[in-house]
Amino acid sequence: MPSRRAILAGLAAAGARPALGWADAGGPSWLAAGRDASGAFLLAGLDAAGDTLFRIPLPDRGHAAAAHPHAPEAVAFARRPGRFALVIDCAAGRLVQRLDAPKGRHFYGHGAFLAGGEVLATTENEMENGEGRIGLWSRTDGYARIGEIASGGIGPHEIRALPGDVLVVANGGIRTHPDNGREKLNLDSMRPSLAYVTLAGDILDEVVLPPELHRNSIRHLAVAPDGRVAFAMQWQGDVSAPVPLLGLHRRGDAPVLAEAGLAEQIAMEGYAGSVAFARDGARVAITSPRGGRLHLFDGEGTFRAALRRGDVCGVAPSRRGLVVTDGQGGVLAVEDDALASVARAPLAWDNHLVAVGA
Amino acid sequence: MRAPLTAALCLAAAPALAGVAEVVDDHVLPATAAFAEATAVLEGAAAADCRGEALRPAYQDAFDAWLGISHLTLGPLEEDGTGLAIGFWPDARGMVGRTVARLVADEDPVARDTEGFSEVSVAGRGLFALERLLYDEAFAGYGADDYACTLAKAIAADLARMGGAVDAAWREDFAQTLKTAGAEDNSRFLDDREAAQALYTALATGLDFTAQQRLGRPMGSFEAPKPQVAEARRSDRPLRNVVLSLEALRELAMTLSDAPIPRTEAAFDRALETARTLDDPRLAGVAEPAGRLRVEALQTEIRAVTRAAAEEIAPALGVSVGFNSADGD
Repeated sequence: MPSRRAILAGLAAAGARPALGWADAGGPSWLAAGRDASGAFLLAGLDAAGDTLFRIPLPDRGHAAAAHPHAPEAVAFARRPGRFALVIDCAAGRLVQRLDAPKGRHFYGHGAFLAGGEVLATTENEMENGEGRIGLWSRTDGYARIGEIASGGIGPHEIRALPGDVLVVANGGIRTHPDNGREKLNLDSMRPSLAYVTLAGDILDEVVLPPELHRNSIRHLAVAPDGRVAFAMQWQGDVSAPVPLLGLHRRGDAPVLAEAGLAEQIAMEGYAGSVAFARDGARVAITSPRGGRLHLFDGEGTFRAALRRGDVCGVAPSRRGLVVTDGQGGVLAVEDDALASVARAPLAWDNHLVAVGA
Repeated sequence: MRAPLTAALCLAAAPALAGVAEVVDDHVLPATAAFAEATAVLEGAAAADCRGEALRPAYQDAFDAWLGISHLTLGPLEEDGTGLAIGFWPDARGMVGRTVARLVADEDPVARDTEGFSEVSVAGRGLFALERLLYDEAFAGYGADDYACTLAKAIAADLARMGGAVDAAWREDFAQTLKTAGAEDNSRFLDDREAAQALYTALATGLDFTAQQRLGRPMGSFEAPKPQVAEARRSDRPLRNVVLSLEALRELAMTLSDAPIPRTEAAFDRALETARTLDDPRLAGVAEPAGRLRVEALQTEIRAVTRAAAEEIAPALGVSVGFNSADGD
């Protein structure tokens, strides 16, 4: 006799779409991509205790996922330059649909739901001219491609939805072409930006860095409950240069660039892999797997602490503050400016930890 | 309930991988002791006579000892920027020169303040700041009553303080942290594999640092070599640092691995042989095509060591270089 989940999944596939919620997927707090001991790639759901609720095989190494705001559905993105994204039913534990990047486009590895979860936005490269695009897909219409807008820069990477269906986009500024792998084609002229765009393609606001930081690729984003945006950067110059790797921005204000002391700044190796606000917005953290550390700041950008953990990268809000994941399968909580082990899985967690329902 | 609990405790208290304890006892602690000793001698020498001529031999010995531990970036050297305060290199923005020049120009009284000197920017402390005073023509030749002499004493004393503190922190604390990986109260290393992973990462990172930074920086590009940025070139140490770092990393590899590692050993020996016969102490040859080719060959041989270690040591320990650190986005 088929299980309840299988029946529901069958209904969902048939288009009946009963109103399943994340509870039907076991109520995960987070999603993360990973690699298991056999070398197989997967997307996992983690519960509030950091334990793995479900694992869904991925055909290739994942990067990040977009969690639907209420349906137990995630879109998993392959690592850049990916040509497809996978819609996954996290309740049934299976692949529902494959989204192919349109001809002449590839995905950058991140996406976001907006319009109450009816529209998926994906960051893309228009390969012919290197311009950043945001692809728009209608979930209601079986993820049909319904249009695209300019991202406001080159190399859009992470994208987040803000209230009012405004998208905030991290335009990394680096031009690449899949024919040349990840080779960076424009380091001398790169101009990363943080752009606020509407679904109609209007650019409401744009933040650019001072000229001496034009090689600081704005790559990852977090949004505080009050709408403040944190952006994490990756320096495309000398790895020993002590450049800021975290920026905080509120629309209409100038950005605040946040940094630790000289030695700690150098120890990050010019690389922040992920960024997250704590749920109350009073703390913000960036991770550097290369530096084996997390830098914790207060909500105004004042440095608080450096917490060491080898290969740490994923970071996301938790009920009590922040939680991080690492390449050893560790799930650790940031508590009182220190790390405490929460759970371990026999796999390597990949770059990002995605909060469900955040 | 009691039986499973006991079993869990036994597991938690299981000894760390043999290699981890051996690295601590046979590789790390002798080297931190040697660095503490060498910097104490340097401090004593500076107290007796802080002029360049008198201080250079003790400076060279202390730098030699630094190469015995500079790759141990886990633990005490990563606390409070200590590693950078001892050895501020690479210095892409010329901060050491600027900071030392400012201290000297201002005759900053901080040099007379033993406690306060540790608050000076890491770029104005340690072996590279001292190298400026002892070897850079802008400062060298100062007299016993000059400010530079006082500054040299302060830097030497600060180095000795850090040398002693690093040795003590390893001996009294971090050695145990590594050896008790997996114990309930050990939040740093959740199991013995993580301790082995951290040491293996130090090995891989150290090899990469010597290939990419110590050799790669002066090599620059073929069109634009940069011999002037070689590590500690003023004190004639660029090649010596490469040799000593390879020797230290070889010892780390040998102690970390429980099993014989013939290919890694052979790769180390080839690289060391090449380095020892390079006959180019400042790596100045990178400015000429022939010299550059020889340095490039050495770089290739060091990368071969990394590959051999990845194939021979890492699988045996069940570790690898970081999933995220090696390939992020």
